[in-house]
Amino acid sequence: MWWLLLFPSLLFAESNSTDERVVGTFYFNPMFGHVHQSALRTSASLTTIQCSHPVKVIESSKVSVSKEWAYVQVADHRGFIRKEFLTVKRPECFQGKYPRFFDAFNLDLSELYYWGRLNDQFIQGETRVK
Amino acid sequence: MKILILISCLISLPILSQTEKLQEEKELEVVNFNSIKKILIQDGLSEAAKKKEKQVQILKKEQAKVETGRFMYPTESEIWGFTTEYWLIKNAQILDWDFEKPDYGIDKSFRTLMQDLGFYQKKFKILLVNSPNIVRAALPGNEEIVLIISVPFIRMMDLSKLEISLMLFEDFLRLDLGYFKKSVATEKLTKIAGSNFQGTKPDISFVEELLKNYSSQINEKGYSFQQMFEVTKKMDAYLKSNPELWNAYFRLLGKMDRFLKTNIQFKDYIKLYPSPEMQVKWLSPDEKVL
Repeated sequence: MWWLLLFPSLLFAESNSTDERVVGTFYFNPMFGHVHQSALRTSASLTTIQCSHPVKVIESSKVSVSKEWAYVQVADHRGFIRKEFLTVKRPECFQGKYPRFFDAFNLDLSELYYWGRLNDQFIQGETRVK
Repeated sequence: MKILILISCLISLPILSQTEKLQEEKELEVVNFNSIKKILIQDGLSEAAKKKEKQVQILKKEQAKVETGRFMYPTESEIWGFTTEYWLIKNAQILDWDFEKPDYGIDKSFRTLMQDLGFYQKKFKILLVNSPNIVRAALPGNEEIVLIISVPFIRMMDLSKLEISLMLFEDFLRLDLGYFKKSVATEKLTKIAGSNFQGTKPDISFVEELLKNYSSQINEKGYSFQQMFEVTKKMDAYLKSNPELWNAYFRLLGKMDRFLKTNIQFKDYIKLYPSPEMQVKWLSPDEKVL
Protein backbone atom coordinates (compact mmCIF):
# COMPACT_ATOMS: atom_id res chain seq x y z
CA MET A 1 0.00 0.00 0.00
CA TRP A 2 3.00 2.32 0.31
CA TRP A 3 2.88 3.10 -3.40
CA LEU A 4 -0.49 4.77 -2.91
CA LEU A 5 1.32 7.52 -0.99
CA LEU A 6 3.71 7.99 -3.88
CA PHE A 7 0.97 8.24 -6.51
CA PRO A 8 -0.10 11.91 -5.97
CA SER A 9 3.50 13.11 -6.16
CA LEU A 10 4.00 11.23 -9.42
CA LEU A 11 0.85 12.83 -10.80
CA PHE A 12 2.10 16.27 -9.77
CA ALA A 13 5.45 15.70 -11.44
CA GLU A 14 3.65 14.77 -14.65
CA SER A 15 1.60 17.98 -14.70
CA ASN A 16 4.73 19.95 -13.87
CA SER A 17 6.52 18.72 -16.92
CA THR A 18 3.66 19.17 -19.35
CA ASP A 19 2.72 22.78 -18.56
CA GLU A 20 6.08 24.06 -19.71
CA ARG A 21 7.45 24.11 -23.23
CA VAL A 22 10.65 25.34 -24.81
CA VAL A 23 9.61 27.54 -27.73
CA GLY A 24 13.12 27.63 -29.15
CA THR A 25 16.61 29.03 -28.88
CA PHE A 26 17.02 32.64 -29.91
CA TYR A 27 19.97 35.04 -29.89
CA PHE A 28 20.37 38.30 -28.02
CA ASN A 29 20.73 41.19 -30.45
CA PRO A 30 21.83 44.45 -28.69
CA MET A 31 25.41 44.96 -27.59
CA PHE A 32 24.61 44.28 -23.93
CA GLY A 33 21.46 43.56 -21.96
CA HIS A 34 19.91 42.03 -18.89
CA VAL A 35 17.79 39.07 -17.97
CA HIS A 36 15.21 40.80 -15.76
CA GLN A 37 13.59 39.57 -12.58
CA SER A 38 10.20 40.75 -13.81
CA ALA A 39 8.78 41.94 -17.13
CA LEU A 40 9.61 45.59 -16.54
CA ARG A 41 12.35 47.73 -18.10
CA THR A 42 13.47 48.94 -14.69
CA SER A 43 13.28 45.61 -12.86
CA ALA A 44 16.40 44.16 -11.25
CA SER A 45 18.93 42.33 -13.37
CA LEU A 46 19.52 38.62 -12.80
CA THR A 47 22.47 38.53 -15.12
CA THR A 48 24.08 40.63 -17.85
CA ILE A 49 24.41 39.09 -21.30
CA GLN A 50 26.02 40.29 -24.49
CA CYS A 51 25.18 40.24 -28.15
CA SER A 52 24.82 36.80 -29.75
CA HIS A 53 24.23 35.04 -26.42
CA PRO A 54 21.84 32.09 -26.92
CA VAL A 55 18.57 32.44 -25.00
CA LYS A 56 16.03 29.66 -24.44
CA VAL A 57 12.48 31.01 -24.67
CA ILE A 58 10.02 29.16 -22.46
CA GLU A 59 6.25 29.03 -22.47
CA SER A 60 4.81 28.22 -19.09
CA SER A 61 1.24 28.18 -17.82
CA LYS A 62 2.54 29.40 -14.48
CA VAL A 63 4.12 32.54 -15.89
CA SER A 64 2.03 35.08 -17.72
CA VAL A 65 3.87 37.72 -19.72
CA SER A 66 2.75 40.62 -21.86
CA LYS A 67 3.24 40.28 -25.61
CA GLU A 68 6.32 42.51 -25.52
CA TRP A 69 8.27 40.25 -23.18
CA ALA A 70 9.60 36.70 -23.34
CA TYR A 71 10.09 34.34 -20.42
CA VAL A 72 13.60 32.96 -20.87
CA GLN A 73 16.27 30.74 -19.45
CA VAL A 74 19.92 31.79 -19.62
CA ALA A 75 22.29 29.37 -17.90
CA ASP A 76 20.75 28.88 -14.42
CA HIS A 77 18.71 32.06 -14.55
CA ARG A 78 15.07 32.29 -15.48
CA GLY A 79 13.74 35.75 -16.17
CA PHE A 80 12.44 38.15 -18.76
CA ILE A 81 13.82 39.80 -21.90
CA ARG A 82 12.07 42.16 -24.32
CA LYS A 83 11.11 40.23 -27.46
CA GLU A 84 12.45 42.92 -29.78
CA PHE A 85 15.94 42.05 -28.49
CA LEU A 86 15.76 38.43 -29.66
CA THR A 87 16.52 37.13 -33.14
CA VAL A 88 16.24 33.72 -34.73
CA LYS A 89 19.59 33.95 -36.54
CA ARG A 90 22.87 34.61 -34.79
CA PRO A 91 23.38 38.39 -35.19
CA GLU A 92 26.52 40.15 -36.37
CA CYS A 93 27.72 41.93 -33.23
CA PHE A 94 29.94 44.99 -32.95
CA GLN A 95 32.22 43.28 -30.43
CA GLY A 96 32.44 40.21 -32.68
CA LYS A 97 33.14 42.21 -35.80
CA TYR A 98 35.83 44.40 -34.21
CA PRO A 99 37.14 42.32 -31.28
CA ARG A 100 40.58 43.96 -30.97
CA PHE A 101 39.18 47.50 -31.14
CA PHE A 102 36.42 46.67 -28.66
CA ASP A 103 38.78 44.91 -26.20
CA ALA A 104 41.01 47.99 -26.14
CA PHE A 105 38.31 49.87 -24.17
CA ASN A 106 38.57 47.34 -21.37
CA LEU A 107 35.03 48.09 -20.16
CA ASP A 108 34.50 47.49 -16.45
CA LEU A 109 31.54 45.70 -14.89
CA SER A 110 29.58 48.84 -14.10
CA GLU A 111 29.94 50.02 -17.72
CA LEU A 112 28.68 46.66 -18.99
CA TYR A 113 25.78 46.89 -16.53
CA TYR A 114 24.85 50.41 -17.64
CA TRP A 115 25.17 49.50 -21.31
CA GLY A 116 22.58 46.79 -20.76
CA ARG A 117 20.33 49.19 -18.86
CA LEU A 118 20.66 51.78 -21.63
CA ASN A 119 19.27 49.36 -24.19
CA ASP A 120 16.33 48.69 -21.88
CA GLN A 121 15.64 52.40 -21.42
CA PHE A 122 15.69 53.35 -25.08
CA ILE A 123 12.26 53.87 -26.62
CA GLN A 124 12.88 52.52 -30.10
CA GLY A 125 10.89 53.09 -33.22
CA GLU A 126 10.96 53.33 -36.99
CA THR A 127 8.77 55.13 -39.45
CA ARG A 128 7.07 52.96 -41.99
CA VAL A 129 8.17 52.24 -45.54
CA LYS A 130 6.65 54.63 -48.05
CA MET B 1 76.34 13.63 -44.75
CA LYS B 2 76.15 16.65 -42.44
CA ILE B 3 75.60 18.92 -45.44
CA LEU B 4 72.75 16.68 -46.64
CA ILE B 5 71.03 16.87 -43.25
CA LEU B 6 71.44 20.64 -43.20
CA ILE B 7 69.96 20.99 -46.68
CA SER B 8 66.99 18.78 -45.83
CA CYS B 9 66.39 20.87 -42.67
CA LEU B 10 66.48 24.09 -44.67
CA ILE B 11 63.97 22.67 -47.16
CA SER B 12 61.58 21.52 -44.43
CA LEU B 13 61.66 24.84 -42.52
CA PRO B 14 59.26 26.82 -44.75
CA ILE B 15 56.90 23.85 -44.79
CA LEU B 16 56.76 23.84 -40.99
CA SER B 17 56.24 27.56 -40.81
CA GLN B 18 53.15 27.44 -43.05
CA THR B 19 49.85 28.27 -41.39
CA GLU B 20 47.47 25.48 -40.45
CA LYS B 21 45.64 24.09 -43.46
CA LEU B 22 41.91 23.83 -43.87
CA GLN B 23 40.27 20.41 -43.57
CA GLU B 24 39.10 20.64 -47.18
CA GLU B 25 42.63 21.48 -48.28
CA LYS B 26 44.04 18.40 -46.53
CA GLU B 27 41.39 16.18 -48.10
CA LEU B 28 42.39 17.52 -51.48
CA GLU B 29 46.03 16.61 -50.92
CA VAL B 30 45.41 13.04 -49.77
CA VAL B 31 44.45 11.77 -53.20
CA ASN B 32 46.97 11.81 -56.03
CA PHE B 33 44.64 12.18 -58.97
CA ASN B 34 47.18 11.89 -61.81
CA SER B 35 47.62 8.10 -61.68
CA ILE B 36 43.94 7.33 -61.97
CA LYS B 37 42.93 10.28 -64.15
CA LYS B 38 40.95 8.31 -66.77
CA ILE B 39 38.88 6.43 -64.20
CA LEU B 40 38.21 9.61 -62.34
CA ILE B 41 36.94 11.38 -65.45
CA GLN B 42 34.66 8.43 -66.16
CA ASP B 43 33.25 8.47 -62.63
CA GLY B 44 32.86 12.26 -62.60
CA LEU B 45 35.20 12.40 -59.64
CA SER B 46 37.55 14.86 -61.27
CA GLU B 47 34.58 17.26 -61.49
CA ALA B 48 34.03 16.75 -57.77
CA ALA B 49 37.70 17.46 -57.12
CA LYS B 50 37.45 20.72 -59.03
CA LYS B 51 34.42 21.70 -57.00
CA LYS B 52 36.28 20.91 -53.83
CA GLU B 53 39.20 23.04 -54.97
CA LYS B 54 36.88 25.96 -55.61
CA GLN B 55 35.31 25.44 -52.19
CA VAL B 56 38.75 25.56 -50.59
CA GLN B 57 39.57 28.80 -52.36
CA ILE B 58 36.32 30.42 -51.23
CA LEU B 59 36.86 29.25 -47.65
CA LYS B 60 40.44 30.53 -47.69
CA LYS B 61 39.26 33.92 -48.89
CA GLU B 62 36.61 34.06 -46.17
CA GLN B 63 39.15 33.05 -43.53
CA ALA B 64 41.53 35.78 -44.65
CA LYS B 65 38.68 38.30 -44.58
CA VAL B 66 37.74 37.33 -41.02
CA GLU B 67 41.38 37.51 -39.95
CA THR B 68 41.95 41.01 -41.34
CA GLY B 69 38.55 42.09 -40.01
CA ARG B 70 39.75 41.37 -36.50
CA PHE B 71 42.24 44.22 -36.88
CA MET B 72 39.93 46.77 -38.48
CA TYR B 73 38.63 50.02 -37.06
CA PRO B 74 34.84 50.32 -37.37
CA THR B 75 33.37 52.44 -40.15
CA GLU B 76 32.59 56.11 -39.43
CA SER B 77 28.89 55.44 -39.01
CA GLU B 78 29.60 52.58 -36.58
CA ILE B 79 32.01 54.80 -34.62
CA TRP B 80 29.32 57.49 -34.23
CA GLY B 81 26.85 54.91 -32.93
CA PHE B 82 29.37 53.40 -30.54
CA THR B 83 30.59 56.78 -29.23
CA THR B 84 27.05 58.08 -28.65
CA GLU B 85 26.17 55.05 -26.52
CA TYR B 86 29.53 55.12 -24.74
CA TRP B 87 29.01 58.81 -23.91
CA LEU B 88 25.59 57.98 -22.46
CA ILE B 89 27.16 55.20 -20.35
CA LYS B 90 29.95 57.47 -19.13
CA ASN B 91 27.38 60.13 -18.14
CA ALA B 92 24.74 57.76 -16.76
CA GLN B 93 24.81 59.25 -13.25
CA ILE B 94 24.70 62.89 -14.37
CA LEU B 95 21.97 62.34 -16.91
CA ASP B 96 20.02 59.93 -14.67
CA TRP B 97 18.29 57.99 -17.42
CA ASP B 98 17.94 54.71 -15.49
CA PHE B 99 14.61 55.37 -13.81
CA GLU B 100 10.99 54.30 -14.00
CA LYS B 101 9.22 56.64 -16.35
CA PRO B 102 5.65 57.18 -17.38
CA ASP B 103 4.57 56.00 -20.81
CA TYR B 104 3.97 59.27 -22.61
CA GLY B 105 3.31 57.46 -25.89
CA ILE B 106 6.03 59.60 -27.46
CA ASP B 107 7.20 56.89 -29.84
CA LYS B 108 3.80 56.61 -31.56
CA SER B 109 3.27 60.37 -31.60
CA PHE B 110 6.75 61.09 -33.00
CA ARG B 111 6.47 58.32 -35.59
CA THR B 112 3.12 59.69 -36.78
CA LEU B 113 4.50 63.23 -37.01
CA MET B 114 7.54 62.10 -39.01
CA GLN B 115 5.38 60.07 -41.39
CA ASP B 116 2.91 62.94 -41.82
CA LEU B 117 5.82 65.14 -42.83
CA GLY B 118 7.12 62.57 -45.31
CA PHE B 119 10.00 60.98 -43.39
CA TYR B 120 9.92 57.27 -44.08
CA GLN B 121 12.15 54.37 -42.95
CA LYS B 122 13.80 56.48 -40.28
CA LYS B 123 15.00 54.63 -37.21
CA PHE B 124 15.05 56.46 -33.89
CA LYS B 125 15.83 55.88 -30.23
CA ILE B 126 14.38 58.20 -27.61
CA LEU B 127 15.94 58.44 -24.17
CA LEU B 128 14.11 60.20 -21.36
CA VAL B 129 16.41 61.64 -18.70
CA ASN B 130 15.40 62.48 -15.17
CA SER B 131 17.64 65.51 -15.00
CA PRO B 132 17.38 69.22 -15.67
CA ASN B 133 21.11 69.23 -16.57
CA ILE B 134 20.28 68.45 -20.17
CA VAL B 135 17.01 69.60 -21.72
CA ARG B 136 17.35 68.07 -25.16
CA ALA B 137 19.89 66.68 -27.61
CA ALA B 138 20.06 64.75 -30.84
CA LEU B 139 23.03 62.45 -31.23
CA PRO B 140 24.17 60.38 -34.20
CA GLY B 141 23.66 56.63 -34.07
CA ASN B 142 24.84 53.92 -36.42
CA GLU B 143 21.72 53.58 -38.52
CA GLU B 144 19.43 55.61 -36.31
CA ILE B 145 19.20 58.92 -34.47
CA VAL B 146 19.32 59.13 -30.69
CA LEU B 147 17.02 61.77 -29.20
CA ILE B 148 17.29 62.85 -25.60
CA ILE B 149 14.68 64.86 -23.71
CA SER B 150 14.37 65.82 -20.04
CA VAL B 151 11.35 64.61 -18.05
CA PRO B 152 11.59 67.46 -15.48
CA PHE B 153 11.43 69.88 -18.43
CA ILE B 154 8.42 68.05 -19.92
CA ARG B 155 6.64 68.14 -16.54
CA MET B 156 7.42 71.76 -15.67
CA MET B 157 6.44 72.95 -19.13
CA ASP B 158 3.42 70.63 -19.08
CA LEU B 159 4.15 69.58 -22.66
CA SER B 160 1.65 67.60 -24.70
CA LYS B 161 2.62 64.57 -26.82
CA LEU B 162 2.51 66.72 -29.93
CA GLU B 163 4.69 69.43 -28.38
CA ILE B 164 7.29 66.84 -27.30
CA SER B 165 7.24 65.37 -30.81
CA LEU B 166 7.74 68.82 -32.35
CA MET B 167 10.77 69.39 -30.11
CA LEU B 168 12.16 66.00 -31.13
CA PHE B 169 11.52 66.78 -34.79
CA GLU B 170 13.42 70.07 -34.46
CA ASP B 171 16.31 68.12 -32.91
CA PHE B 172 16.15 65.61 -35.74
CA LEU B 173 16.44 68.41 -38.32
CA ARG B 174 19.35 70.00 -36.43
CA LEU B 175 21.22 66.68 -36.50
CA ASP B 176 20.27 66.14 -40.12
CA LEU B 177 21.82 69.51 -41.03
CA GLY B 178 25.11 68.07 -39.75
CA TYR B 179 25.90 70.74 -37.12
CA PHE B 180 26.61 68.24 -34.35
CA LYS B 181 28.96 66.03 -36.35
CA LYS B 182 30.74 69.05 -37.81
CA SER B 183 31.37 70.48 -34.36
CA VAL B 184 32.40 67.21 -32.70
CA ALA B 185 34.30 65.31 -35.42
CA THR B 186 38.08 65.24 -35.49
CA GLU B 187 40.57 64.77 -38.31
CA LYS B 188 41.74 61.57 -36.71
CA LEU B 189 38.24 60.08 -36.87
CA THR B 190 37.95 60.44 -40.64
CA LYS B 191 41.53 59.23 -41.10
CA ILE B 192 41.23 56.17 -38.90
CA ALA B 193 37.64 54.99 -39.57
CA GLY B 194 37.50 51.75 -41.53
CA SER B 195 41.29 51.37 -41.66
CA ASN B 196 43.42 48.42 -40.56
CA PHE B 197 45.79 48.34 -37.59
CA GLN B 198 47.30 44.86 -38.03
CA GLY B 199 50.69 44.67 -36.38
CA THR B 200 50.04 47.58 -34.03
CA LYS B 201 47.88 48.27 -31.00
CA PRO B 202 44.50 49.85 -31.73
CA ASP B 203 44.53 53.56 -31.06
CA ILE B 204 41.37 54.50 -29.14
CA SER B 205 42.49 58.01 -28.19
CA PHE B 206 40.29 59.43 -30.96
CA VAL B 207 37.18 58.04 -29.21
CA GLU B 208 38.26 59.70 -25.95
CA GLU B 209 38.69 62.94 -27.87
CA LEU B 210 35.22 62.53 -29.36
CA LEU B 211 33.74 61.94 -25.89
CA LYS B 212 35.22 65.22 -24.68
CA ASN B 213 33.86 67.03 -27.73
CA TYR B 214 30.41 65.50 -27.11
CA SER B 215 30.36 66.89 -23.56
CA SER B 216 31.58 70.28 -24.66
CA GLN B 217 29.04 70.53 -27.51
CA ILE B 218 26.09 69.35 -25.40
CA ASN B 219 26.85 71.22 -22.17
CA GLU B 220 28.79 74.33 -23.20
CA LYS B 221 29.03 75.20 -26.89
CA GLY B 222 25.52 74.54 -28.14
CA TYR B 223 24.41 76.10 -31.43
CA SER B 224 24.87 79.52 -33.02
CA PHE B 225 22.13 82.01 -33.94
CA GLN B 226 22.78 81.27 -37.59
CA GLN B 227 22.36 77.53 -37.08
CA MET B 228 19.19 78.07 -35.07
CA PHE B 229 17.86 80.35 -37.80
CA GLU B 230 18.47 77.65 -40.42
CA VAL B 231 16.72 75.04 -38.28
CA THR B 232 13.75 77.32 -37.61
CA LYS B 233 13.37 78.13 -41.30
CA LYS B 234 13.48 74.41 -42.11
CA MET B 235 10.80 73.75 -39.49
CA ASP B 236 8.76 76.54 -41.05
CA ALA B 237 9.08 75.00 -44.51
CA TYR B 238 8.10 71.50 -43.36
CA LEU B 239 5.19 72.59 -41.16
CA LYS B 240 3.71 75.26 -43.43
CA SER B 241 1.68 72.75 -45.41
CA ASN B 242 -0.05 71.70 -42.18
CA PRO B 243 -1.37 74.85 -40.41
CA GLU B 244 -2.39 72.86 -37.32
CA LEU B 245 1.19 71.67 -36.80
CA TRP B 246 2.67 75.06 -37.69
CA ASN B 247 0.44 76.79 -35.10
CA ALA B 248 1.31 74.16 -32.48
CA TYR B 249 5.03 74.79 -33.11
CA PHE B 250 4.61 78.56 -33.00
CA ARG B 251 2.66 78.32 -29.72
CA LEU B 252 5.29 75.94 -28.30
CA LEU B 253 8.09 78.44 -28.97
CA GLY B 254 6.12 81.19 -27.24
CA LYS B 255 5.43 78.90 -24.30
CA MET B 256 9.13 78.03 -24.04
CA ASP B 257 10.14 81.66 -24.25
CA ARG B 258 7.85 82.63 -21.35
CA PHE B 259 8.88 79.62 -19.28
CA LEU B 260 12.63 80.06 -19.76
CA LYS B 261 12.51 83.74 -18.87
CA THR B 262 11.03 82.97 -15.48
CA ASN B 263 12.77 79.70 -14.62
CA ILE B 264 16.35 79.87 -13.33
CA GLN B 265 16.77 76.08 -13.32
CA PHE B 266 16.96 76.08 -17.13
CA LYS B 267 18.84 79.36 -17.56
CA ASP B 268 21.57 77.74 -19.68
CA TYR B 269 19.10 76.59 -22.31
CA ILE B 270 19.09 79.96 -24.11
CA LYS B 271 22.88 79.91 -24.36
CA LEU B 272 22.82 76.48 -25.98
CA TYR B 273 19.79 76.96 -28.22
CA PRO B 274 19.46 80.70 -28.94
CA SER B 275 16.65 81.39 -28.57
CA PRO B 276 12.90 80.72 -28.49
CA GLU B 277 12.31 84.48 -28.45
CA MET B 278 14.27 84.90 -31.68
CA GLN B 279 12.65 81.84 -33.20
CA VAL B 280 9.22 83.38 -32.63
CA LYS B 281 10.42 86.56 -34.35
CA TRP B 282 11.88 84.63 -37.29
CA LEU B 283 8.59 82.82 -37.77
CA SER B 284 6.34 85.83 -37.30
CA PRO B 285 5.03 87.38 -40.50
CA ASP B 286 6.70 90.69 -41.36
CA GLU B 287 4.86 93.72 -40.09
CA LYS B 288 3.29 95.75 -42.83
CA VAL B 289 4.73 99.22 -43.26
CA LEU B 290 2.16 101.74 -44.44
